[in-house]
Amino acid sequence: MPWIAEDRRNTRATEGQPLLTDAMKALLRDKYFPRYPSKRAVLLPALHLIQHEYNWIPSEAIKEIADFLEIAPAEALDTASFYEEYWLKPKGKYLVQVCRSLTCELCQSEALTKKLSDTLKVEVGETTPDKRFTLVELECLGACGSAPVVMVNERLYENVDVDQLMKIIETLPEDPHEFKDPGVTWENHH
Amino acid sequence: MAFTEPVLTKRIPLDPEKRKLITYDDYVATGGYAQLKKALEMAPADIVKTVTDSGLRGRGGAGFGAGQKWSFIPKEKKTTHYLTVNADESEPGTFKDRYVMNYDPHLLLEGIAICALATQCDIAYIFIRGEYHYSAKVLEFAIKEAYDHGIFGGNGVFGSGKKIECYVHRGAGAYICGEETGLLEALEGKRGWPRNKPPFPAIAGAFSKPTVINNVETLMNVPMILEKGPAWFKTMGTPSSPGPKLYGMSGHINKPGVYEDELGITLDYAINTLGGGMKGGAYKASICGGISMGVLGTNQLDIKLDFDDVRFRGGCLGLGTAGMIVMNEHTDMVKALRNCVRFYSHESCGQCTPCREGSHWMKKILDRVVAGDGKARDLEMLLELEKTMGIMPGTTICGLADGTAWATRTFVTKFYDEFAARCPEETTKRVALKLAGSSRTNVLTPMGSNTR
Repeated sequence: MPWIAEDRRNTRATEGQPLLTDAMKALLRDKYFPRYPSKRAVLLPALHLIQHEYNWIPSEAIKEIADFLEIAPAEALDTASFYEEYWLKPKGKYLVQVCRSLTCELCQSEALTKKLSDTLKVEVGETTPDKRFTLVELECLGACGSAPVVMVNERLYENVDVDQLMKIIETLPEDPHEFKDPGVTWENHH
Repeated sequence: MAFTEPVLTKRIPLDPEKRKLITYDDYVATGGYAQLKKALEMAPADIVKTVTDSGLRGRGGAGFGAGQKWSFIPKEKKTTHYLTVNADESEPGTFKDRYVMNYDPHLLLEGIAICALATQCDIAYIFIRGEYHYSAKVLEFAIKEAYDHGIFGGNGVFGSGKKIECYVHRGAGAYICGEETGLLEALEGKRGWPRNKPPFPAIAGAFSKPTVINNVETLMNVPMILEKGPAWFKTMGTPSSPGPKLYGMSGHINKPGVYEDELGITLDYAINTLGGGMKGGAYKASICGGISMGVLGTNQLDIKLDFDDVRFRGGCLGLGTAGMIVMNEHTDMVKALRNCVRFYSHESCGQCTPCREGSHWMKKILDRVVAGDGKARDLEMLLELEKTMGIMPGTTICGLADGTAWATRTFVTKFYDEFAARCPEETTKRVALKLAGSSRTNVLTPMGSNTR
């Protein structure tokens, strides 16, 4: 909500370095500006870009994006705060997202959440003290045919049971940038 | 009843092991983009007429005639026209679009290109939900291939001068962006608050320009309609709901997944033949088209899955997306409804009071009933609340609240005994008596203006 006062504890110290770098600006300008008749329409892609880079969206970044897109910071915050996928406070390196909608609930997703909560020693919505995991439940992931499903960062795991889930959690690489979806095999072709 | 082989999913093998991404070369080798060449030879009005004649109804939930929708776009082009493809598939139980996009993205792109020619659109945006990371990458790859082969951009479709641009626009985790005007707001970089209509998107949609909005599956039907004609299309399905349909089957069945069949198959056939029969117990209930449409009861296995029978005989809002959630006899219906209502209370955009407050209120009531602390007045209150929410009583801008209302109404009335058993007895009787009277029939019929 735009009227919430800024929480300075969550503000990343920038030390004069802009979060929206020149390379990012160039990407937005060259790739995204020609796609839309208004600059404001680039807001969602820009927020995705920031979150992909920093894992969350600091309030300085929102101001920088607003300046770049020539809109008011409040307008950018208004949009950013509406969407659940944008994290306006820091989260863990790995976001473990358990689907809780009807099919997954019928297929015992609650057992997965409970096991994760017990193993990681966090409640739903919390981050582990080592900042490695954030556990959340979210609504339908659109893979009901293979329920229950869990999404870790950008990768979807289908038909998971408790044992498989523990294995997945244990074998995640140290650096989340090395964590890729093996299904995406064609990116090197072009 | 002439559905003999898959048509929408003809390129996707039934064996999951053999499925792979169909690239541009694979697609063209199996007759792909031939219909786009045909469409180039046709006048835009003729394409619209062909699609209208086929009776193709939108596959995104509402079942509005696709050709009719296209015909609302101004024929004389004075400004930019936009096409937005609704791939914001977030309705619980619905996963058909993900399936076809992941394997056969070019079928969608061909449908987009044909639709853009028919409605003279310059730019197509595929609005895909943020959680579909993999599908978004598939589409980006396929679009790049299509650009490389002269479908999009450059000198127009196959060098014809009719230039179409096509982009992926990722959402960011909001169910409400599946509502067409909420989607447009998100496309413009704003919060996904649905707009008041009129003006309708066909006149002033994205960036206040004429805009077509179609579901992924709807557009995927278009190439084959051009190829084989409206008469062939009508041999499948029922007179009012022709054509093939993707059924997303999930829940307590042996073979969950996406199946293609014609519209108008019975619920019994869908569960026992397509879905491989019940798992873990006998059949109890099923949600026929995403939770917004409501639930079909234990004695409704003969309902035909088309846009009308589910509505008029089934007592639900409609077929919706045909994303079916099947529940066996051990399912706790109170908890199932709590799950549905929690979804709406979480996803309500907060714009209209009846939906924002009503859905939270209903969730609190159901939390209480699930925990065993329910009072009989609670059921009365649930049924009273659901009557006051939605487009049909005229209290909200979009249909999200109608989804809440229909889910609540059908669950509580069709499984009333189960709900009542969770509430103290003396007061339950009072409500049961009241419901057995005239107000019960009111509950089952679509609401008019008598909301107060």
